[in-house]
Amino acid sequence: MNMEISTNDYRVWVEGAKIHYEGTMRLSGTEAYAPILSLMNDVLASKPETICLDLTGLEFLNSSGINLLAKFTIEVRKQPDIGIEVLGSKTIPWQSKSLKNLQRLHPALELQIN
Amino acid sequence: MTETLPASAQPEENRSDSITRFSRHSFRAKFMLVVGAAVLFDIMLAGGVAIWNVQRLSRDATETVSQGLTEATREYLNTYIDTTALRTNLLLDQTYSEVEALGSSMQALIDHPETETRVGEAIESDPDLGDRDITFDAQGGWAQNLEGPSVVSVWGYLLDDEGNMLPAAEEQVVNSSSFNLVAPALMSSGSNKLQMYYVGPKDTPIMRTTPYTTQAQTFDKLYPGHNEDNFWDFFFPGVYEGWQSWLADPSTRPVDRNIVATEPYVDAITGALIVSFFQPLWTQDRTDVAGMTAVDVTLDQFSNLVENVQIADTGFGFLTSSAGNVIAISEAGAATLGLISVDAAGQGVTGMNRFLNQSRFPAISNLLLPTDNNTVIDTISIDQGDGPEDFIVVLKRLDPANLWNGSSIVAESLTLGFLVSRQEMYQTLDEVQREITAATSNIVQWQVAALLISLVIVFIAVYAISGRITAGLSQLAGAANALQNKDYSVRVSIPSKDEVGAVGQAFNRMAEEISHYTENLENLVEERTAKLESANKEIVALNKRLQTENLRLGAELDVAKRIQEMVLPKSTELENIPQIEIAAYMEPADEVGGDYYDVLQNDGRVKIGIGDVTGHGLESGVLMLMVQSIARALQEKGDYDPANFLSVVNRTMYKNIARTDSDKHLTLAFVDYADDKITISGQHEEVLVIRANGDIERIDTLDLGFPVGLELDISPFVASLDIPFDPSDVLVLHTDGITEADNAAGEQFGFDRMAACAQSNRGKNAKEIAEAIIQEVKDHIGSHKMYDDITLVVLKHR
Repeated sequence: MNMEISTNDYRVWVEGAKIHYEGTMRLSGTEAYAPILSLMNDVLASKPETICLDLTGLEFLNSSGINLLAKFTIEVRKQPDIGIEVLGSKTIPWQSKSLKNLQRLHPALELQIN
Repeated sequence: MTETLPASAQPEENRSDSITRFSRHSFRAKFMLVVGAAVLFDIMLAGGVAIWNVQRLSRDATETVSQGLTEATREYLNTYIDTTALRTNLLLDQTYSEVEALGSSMQALIDHPETETRVGEAIESDPDLGDRDITFDAQGGWAQNLEGPSVVSVWGYLLDDEGNMLPAAEEQVVNSSSFNLVAPALMSSGSNKLQMYYVGPKDTPIMRTTPYTTQAQTFDKLYPGHNEDNFWDFFFPGVYEGWQSWLADPSTRPVDRNIVATEPYVDAITGALIVSFFQPLWTQDRTDVAGMTAVDVTLDQFSNLVENVQIADTGFGFLTSSAGNVIAISEAGAATLGLISVDAAGQGVTGMNRFLNQSRFPAISNLLLPTDNNTVIDTISIDQGDGPEDFIVVLKRLDPANLWNGSSIVAESLTLGFLVSRQEMYQTLDEVQREITAATSNIVQWQVAALLISLVIVFIAVYAISGRITAGLSQLAGAANALQNKDYSVRVSIPSKDEVGAVGQAFNRMAEEISHYTENLENLVEERTAKLESANKEIVALNKRLQTENLRLGAELDVAKRIQEMVLPKSTELENIPQIEIAAYMEPADEVGGDYYDVLQNDGRVKIGIGDVTGHGLESGVLMLMVQSIARALQEKGDYDPANFLSVVNRTMYKNIARTDSDKHLTLAFVDYADDKITISGQHEEVLVIRANGDIERIDTLDLGFPVGLELDISPFVASLDIPFDPSDVLVLHTDGITEADNAAGEQFGFDRMAACAQSNRGKNAKEIAEAIIQEVKDHIGSHKMYDDITLVVLKHR
């Protein structure tokens, strides 16, 4: 299982059930995000108690990326025994306006914006 | 095609620059050089070691022989000189014994005076043994007997005026007549003696000598004046006194024997060179000297002994006094030693001097005589005029004796010497050395000859073998050369089974192929050209198809773009809206964008929509068209409740997106204007309001809706917000392509920059405000890539 995806612009890696995002993600379309979704689905498939998405290092995410997070949240929502926690930062503009929607999609999602 | 090419059949024109089989660059030459050098080294090493060993053996043998011979020679010389010394000593001893025997017999009579007188008278009365007629010689002034066993001379000072013997003299003559009995007997036996004689004590020094000679007459001739002086004082001054001093003090006797010798001198009677040995006689009470017995021996006896010494060819012996006076030597020996004879005339007897230290040769004149009884062997160099020659000199001191030196008695040791040419002595050694050297050089010569012959044989063998080994290579080289000259028919024939043979076979195969290719090259080229042409045709055809396809795709995209542009509100449409000015700008990042905006009017209501489909391109553009159609339909149906309006759009889009298997969604917000009031619904970017006085209001739409197409029912999240919109107020709607536009430094344009621009341009009309903002965004992006679609809608209250 590939536990890390890294380019010049961004890096995504997994530590246990915690997925870290870092840098600037501006991939064009769903297909470009597929490897990252695969990584996230692998974590989901391992059925952890709680999945944590740490976005505090992710400076920018385009709309396709936000769509990815939304779709993943919906997937998690289908498995009520798996919790999800999203860590964000107030200083990053896109997070304050987009992350709340994830909680709306899945009210059990624990959102921490610091 | 199977003809073979001999090595010598090279083309004539290539011979000059090709490698011939004998050039120094040829493989054969190198092979011979390497093998030759290896063999040469081997042979030279073995030969060198052998020669070295032979020479070492020769050296060792020479050394051993030389050492042995030198030792043997030394031993021989030692033994020889010891023997000769012993013989000389024996000869002396014999002479000593004879004079001692004579002395002893006379001494016995002196010690018994009465018997002496009776014996004397008895002898004198014997007609044969007695002295006959001692008569006065008026001319000589002395008296002497007629011929008999001995001659008795009575000197003038022992006679009276008439020439008759004084009584003491007469008594002496009678008492000493026992001499006639003993001396002739001793003379006839033992060593060769010249004469034996008796001399009386100093007050009656008559002289009795055997055999009979005309003794006094000879003395008169040779020693004039002797008849006037005392015999002892005239002939042997100091001897008599010396003996007297021995009596007084025995320690003054130099050598522990009574015999006293003279130095060699010319005998007055016989004229021969002689030596005398004196044996003193003592008075009965041993308080004084009572005369002497003596013997004269010629030096010939010693000379014979010494001269008989024969060492090698010319080696000789010599006898010398401690003063260096050579008393016995052959003439040749004297010449070799460079001795010069000098007659020594002195009082009394006449001597003879041949001193070593007066030799012509420095080596002899500087010769040191031994000071003890050890034998000295030394080597000296003498130059007799024909270059220096080495001589071995051997010296040994004889037993010491008392010597009368003409004035007193001293100790004297004669020294026996040998001198032999070193060359003669070591002739054997030299011969052995010569023979060894000759044998050595003989061996070395044979060795060298053997080396040379081996070398020749090896080189012939190497040459022959190299020919066999390199023949194949030579043939290959020649064939390759021929091939280079385009003779493709060349083949080699190498029968050997080794690597060269394998190369030869490979060469033949390659030559075959080259020949084949060369001859079929044109056919091959034609074949290839034909293939290339057909491939080219295929490519051209494919290219045409691609172009057609591209054109078709481009046309399709063009159509989509045109449709998207066509459904956007026309500028005339916007200008005709009363109360508010509306200006809009849209630029897709690709040919077809995913942004949406629309302005709908009916019944005096104005509804402005703005949205952003995730991603861009054709699929996003189609979703955007769907939204436009649905919103238009709903608006025409007259559904004015903003929340309901949005929920229906969402549900419709959700189902359409599900049907098209799309995984996209979109943000969507609507702004309704009526009666100086604006109602905002739907979740999208922040809405910017610039009031107429310049105040900036930011309206967050996060809680006014939800992304469209994600969930079937979003009505719980949808809300609406009313705000006043008074004359000269400006409202700006945008998509994130504006605020998130990056410059080259990765810096986003941002909401604040857009707000500031709108604020500073709020006095202008909507179109100018929009143009100002777009211009600033474009300036910000500069030459950097435009990532996302850009959409801007500006409303201004008239």
